[in-house]
Amino acid sequence: MSEITIKIDGREYKTQEGEYILNAARANDVFIPAICYLTRCSPTLACRICLVEADGKQVYACNAKVKEGMEVTVSTPNILKERRAIMEVYDVNHPLQCGVCDKSGECELQNYTLEIGVDSQSYSIPDTKRENTNWSSVLHYDAGLCIVCERCTTVCKDMIGDAAIKTGARGGEKLSKEAKDSMPKDAYAMWNKLQKSIIVPSNGTEHTNCSDCGECTAVCPVGALVSRDFVYSSNAWELERVPATCAHCSSGCQIYYEKKHTSIANPDEKIYRVTNEWNFVSLCGAGRFGYDFQNDVEGKDVEAFEQAINAFKKADTIKFNSAITNEEAFMLQLLKEKLGVKLINHDAKAFKDFLDSYSKASGSSLYGSDFREVMKSDFVISVGASLRNDNPNARYAFNNVQKMNKGAGLYFHPVGDMLVPTFGKSVEVFNHKVGQEEAVLYLILDLFGDKDKLPVQTKDYLASFHKTVKKTIKEKVMESVTSTVVDKETGESKEVTKKVPKMVDKEVEVDENGLVSILGGSDNFAETFEKMMKKKENFSLIIGEDLYFHPRARNLSRLVALIEDVCDMNLVMIPPRTNSLGVAMICNLDEEESGYIVGYNEHGHFRLGARGFSKLDIPALNQQEGTFVTMNKVVVPTNPALEYKGYELNDILNEFDIGLDETIDFTPKLARFDGFKDIEFDDLPNGYTNTGKENRGYIIDNISVEKQAVSVVEFNDSIVLEGEIAYRCNPQRQFNDFTDKSHQINEEFALYVSPSKAQTLEEEVEVEFDKDTTLKLKVVVDDRIDGDIVLVPDFKSHQNIYSIFGKDRYKTVTIKKG
Amino acid sequence: MGLEKFKDRNVGIQQYKVVEHEAFPKSNAQKFARVMKRMVKGELFVGLWVTLRTMYQALFQDDMHTVKYPFEKLPISPRYRAIHEMLRLLESGHYRCIGCGLCEKICISDCIKIDTKYDENQRKEVTEYTINFGRCIFCGYCAEVCPELAIVHGGRYETSSQQRASFSIFEDMLTPIDALSSQKEYPGFGAVSPNADDNIKKTPLAY
Amino acid sequence: MDAIIIETIIKAIIVLSVIAALAGFGTFIERKVLAFMQRRLGPMHVGPFGLLQLAADGIKLFTKEDIIPQHANRLIFMIAPIITAATAFIALAAVPLLPEFTLFGYTVHPIVADLNVGILFILGAMASGLYGPLLAGMAQANKWGIIGSARTAILFMSYEVVTGLSLLAPIMLVGSLSLIDFNNAQSGGIGEWMVWQQPLAFILFLIAGFAETNRTPFDLLEHEAEVVSGYATEYSGMRWGMFFIGEYANMITIGFMASLIFFGGFNDLGFIPGFLAIILKVSFFFFLMLWVRASWPHVRPDQLMWLCWKVLMPIALLNVLITGLVMMV
Repeated sequence: MSEITIKIDGREYKTQEGEYILNAARANDVFIPAICYLTRCSPTLACRICLVEADGKQVYACNAKVKEGMEVTVSTPNILKERRAIMEVYDVNHPLQCGVCDKSGECELQNYTLEIGVDSQSYSIPDTKRENTNWSSVLHYDAGLCIVCERCTTVCKDMIGDAAIKTGARGGEKLSKEAKDSMPKDAYAMWNKLQKSIIVPSNGTEHTNCSDCGECTAVCPVGALVSRDFVYSSNAWELERVPATCAHCSSGCQIYYEKKHTSIANPDEKIYRVTNEWNFVSLCGAGRFGYDFQNDVEGKDVEAFEQAINAFKKADTIKFNSAITNEEAFMLQLLKEKLGVKLINHDAKAFKDFLDSYSKASGSSLYGSDFREVMKSDFVISVGASLRNDNPNARYAFNNVQKMNKGAGLYFHPVGDMLVPTFGKSVEVFNHKVGQEEAVLYLILDLFGDKDKLPVQTKDYLASFHKTVKKTIKEKVMESVTSTVVDKETGESKEVTKKVPKMVDKEVEVDENGLVSILGGSDNFAETFEKMMKKKENFSLIIGEDLYFHPRARNLSRLVALIEDVCDMNLVMIPPRTNSLGVAMICNLDEEESGYIVGYNEHGHFRLGARGFSKLDIPALNQQEGTFVTMNKVVVPTNPALEYKGYELNDILNEFDIGLDETIDFTPKLARFDGFKDIEFDDLPNGYTNTGKENRGYIIDNISVEKQAVSVVEFNDSIVLEGEIAYRCNPQRQFNDFTDKSHQINEEFALYVSPSKAQTLEEEVEVEFDKDTTLKLKVVVDDRIDGDIVLVPDFKSHQNIYSIFGKDRYKTVTIKKG
Repeated sequence: MGLEKFKDRNVGIQQYKVVEHEAFPKSNAQKFARVMKRMVKGELFVGLWVTLRTMYQALFQDDMHTVKYPFEKLPISPRYRAIHEMLRLLESGHYRCIGCGLCEKICISDCIKIDTKYDENQRKEVTEYTINFGRCIFCGYCAEVCPELAIVHGGRYETSSQQRASFSIFEDMLTPIDALSSQKEYPGFGAVSPNADDNIKKTPLAY
Repeated sequence: MDAIIIETIIKAIIVLSVIAALAGFGTFIERKVLAFMQRRLGPMHVGPFGLLQLAADGIKLFTKEDIIPQHANRLIFMIAPIITAATAFIALAAVPLLPEFTLFGYTVHPIVADLNVGILFILGAMASGLYGPLLAGMAQANKWGIIGSARTAILFMSYEVVTGLSLLAPIMLVGSLSLIDFNNAQSGGIGEWMVWQQPLAFILFLIAGFAETNRTPFDLLEHEAEVVSGYATEYSGMRWGMFFIGEYANMITIGFMASLIFFGGFNDLGFIPGFLAIILKVSFFFFLMLWVRASWPHVRPDQLMWLCWKVLMPIALLNVLITGLVMMV
């Protein structure tokens, strides 16, 4: 990508080659009207309002790429006529009930109608009755307001990967012949399509079967798609926006909490919704709907505070999890230094050990890449992460690579997933056995590694899996057949070239890779892989939580380092929880808990928590200032949306004379730890520029460490688990106690199983881990799971699931009738 | 005074006469002459006559101007901006307010607040609506901005109250359902102008 | 002798109570008349047509706290209103209020004391009423009161001259100071009314009478726009009420004097019996005072003095001279 110069309305601007005209203009603060286009998604060409003239030809700015020296005119008389006609058509039969509409005040239809100056109507057509429907527990669709810009379907397909909605037939009246003759061309084409379509769930039922992320409601330019909870509850202009960072997973998405008073009778502030910069960041259901987890306390509970001080004085262990800010982690570390207690954090400890071992092998303190780079790549591999559940943004990146970069993907995971294969045609899924993760990494080394760089031992080890066999195979020969097809929706006829496969018998010598068959890959993987590798330049590897909680995590981390070294891949790791990376970098964690335990948002003899059933209340993450380290290795700030009246950790530190005036006074002091910088909290930005550049906080330095000569060892099948296996994994949208508290997130604490497995189980079962540990759980069917492994969630901290699973993420269990 | 008479007062049209001042007396003789002149001329008795005539008219020709206020009230102008009223739809009896929040937005003394919700009929329901009359300056912007002519200024101007609780909520301002037949279309501030039809253009929802 | 004492005491009590009541009623009439002349209704709420308003006001005045200012001369402050009220009623002693009538065979002379120097007595008594406002104003330690009392002094003393001089001419004609003699002198019907012989004296007497009774346009003593309430500034309750009653009693006295001296007194007037005739005449003069108050503005103090000494007194003197000359001729 090189920088080029284009002219828009006579002025010169610099932009990147290969950029769309619209994005180039937006990056340079030039306004081109556009409704249907979404940055990071494919152009839909539904609204046609972004029409511009480029080098004398009318083109769609969202779809045409810039060229060196291109001269763009935003408005010509003809284009203005088209735009005016398009906006008039959008206003045909759009209810004039802006008064009750939730979008009023931030509606793009309102804005463009005014911008283009539509003050009278030239077109009309009988309306069709369109019903309001609730698509799911959170989605409300008012078809009457819909202008079928298809932003929702586009984002659902290209970004989220659910493709849960599509355009369907509206049953509207046909446009008259004279309209076609009298109207501007693009306006007619747009209307013709608009009059025929409406948005419907793509599974053919009334309800969407999706991950309920609500991204469609965010991108909707009008009031058609609104979350069910927000419908008619507030006008947009009344809400105060607080820029913050989502507190639920390690993505650390930038969000705005939008708040106002609860009601006339109750002046306390309440968060009404969460919004995001949807052009540049996509939220998941937890981020969008899990906002009301604040800890409402009346005031400072002096008695509980004294008890807490005493508890800290006699504590041997402080147990916590990673849903905390860096500042809190720092304060806990200071408490450890002052009081000599142990710090226990299961998720961060495993991640820290993995990272330490990795950095010893690789020579750098952190993994080399981030998810923004992953999104730019065209081949993405995921190992050890349940993509759908562990980190939505990792999944969006995986999907987006398939859709936007014509990419390919490899997904390695023991638990079968129905959704991942639908992301793209070139996605290959390996459902290997639990414990075979080393074999997976060896396979990656084998497939992508530069064999010359490998240590001889490893090279030989990989070669030992290959053997050459003779096989008679049926080879597919592609034949091109061209036919004319009439598109049912638009009535336009297209020439479509289809490739029709023909089977031909052929005898060939094949190099059979033993690793593929060990991992349960298909027989013709070699062929498939060859196709996947076509025109691929940029490779990414996503490492998930399974590898940190693994009996042979150390060997895995070395293998990962080796892959990064010899395969030229963007390596990213998914920290298990919100701020596991930050905690791992800040806290000096211990192995075993002992003695009197003070639980900080965790199970313990004395419990401090933001969930409300603790002895001493502390502020929740939407009530305090602080920073997180995201999986992109960025320190991002978050702001309090709601007031907190009780005690916070800093008050306890002040009792021990190690506190500061404010919690955020610790932010610049984080520089004491490698990678952090000495920057005041108030100087940390939190937003995006027009180009989509993330302007948030600061990036952590990736520090070189001494590289140690380590060697990877061979894998063996002794650790492979057989039989009934439980996997510690949260359902979608549940991450921790806080998502659980949010009223719109209703995934329960239950045993999640595939539909086929559910038939063998009762409605409620007892899961026996060993003789002493059993869990009584309801069985819930998740029809996107495949296979026999059952999922045990860990989002409820008082269930102490981490202790049950210990250093593993998979356990063999016995499932009994409950 | 009836409404017709009230409207026909021709306020602003008065027939003033300019009084010519006579020269001020300078010498004592002139002063004495003026006193004598005034005594003889009977100007003093003109004053007496005027008051007597007025008394006669007041007593016997029904020209008494006193309004026995709490028992009698003068009609007020339809454009008078007193305590707000929330009107109902004449056909259905449902309140007109659609909860759009424009009055809340435009209110310059920030005294209007609305709570709304999505109701079972898929409509926007106004769950609560308050105007803090302790703050309201009766500017009339709310009535002017209301797209539904739902909030209007009524004629209730006796508004002193000893408690804040008396400052209104939705039900107090809403036309009682049994008084629906007597609800009048609002003619005042913010109402549709009589020639509104002439100014109408095809709107974006023309069909 | 005893009978005369008893009779006089009874008469005095009757006169006192009736005139005091009438004075109270006068306030009601004043408020009503002024209201009508201003197209108002006046008091309406207490009793029919507001008639009981004066009872309400009376109760109010009686029950109000008697406030005496801290630095006032207590004794004089307390006595001053009594002087006003007392002199007003004392003056009435020599006024024949009605014609003689017979009650249970006893001939009643409706005059407390038929003095042969009646007019002189009345004028003297009324003039001594000056001490009321004068002392009140000086006792109350208030600048408005001082100004009010100063005005009282100049007003009363100046116009006393005019009153005396204006009445001198009729006295010369009648040759008596008794008001009953005046009445009898005009018993021959309207044609014999003194006003026809002495119109100038009547006008002078009337003007001076307005001043003596402290009525508009000469109410400088308590001109609220200039001196708050003048001599009565610090007074409240019943003490203030006594000033009020005194003023109204004086108005009635002046009304009687004007009727008796110039308008034929209580002689029968055609078909109208004497007692009704005098009541009507007094009522007219009372009404005239209210009427004038409703119609005319105040005069300035300097105009007042100018009017008295440079206009009215010379005219009065001239009138006496001319009358004397005419009588000699």
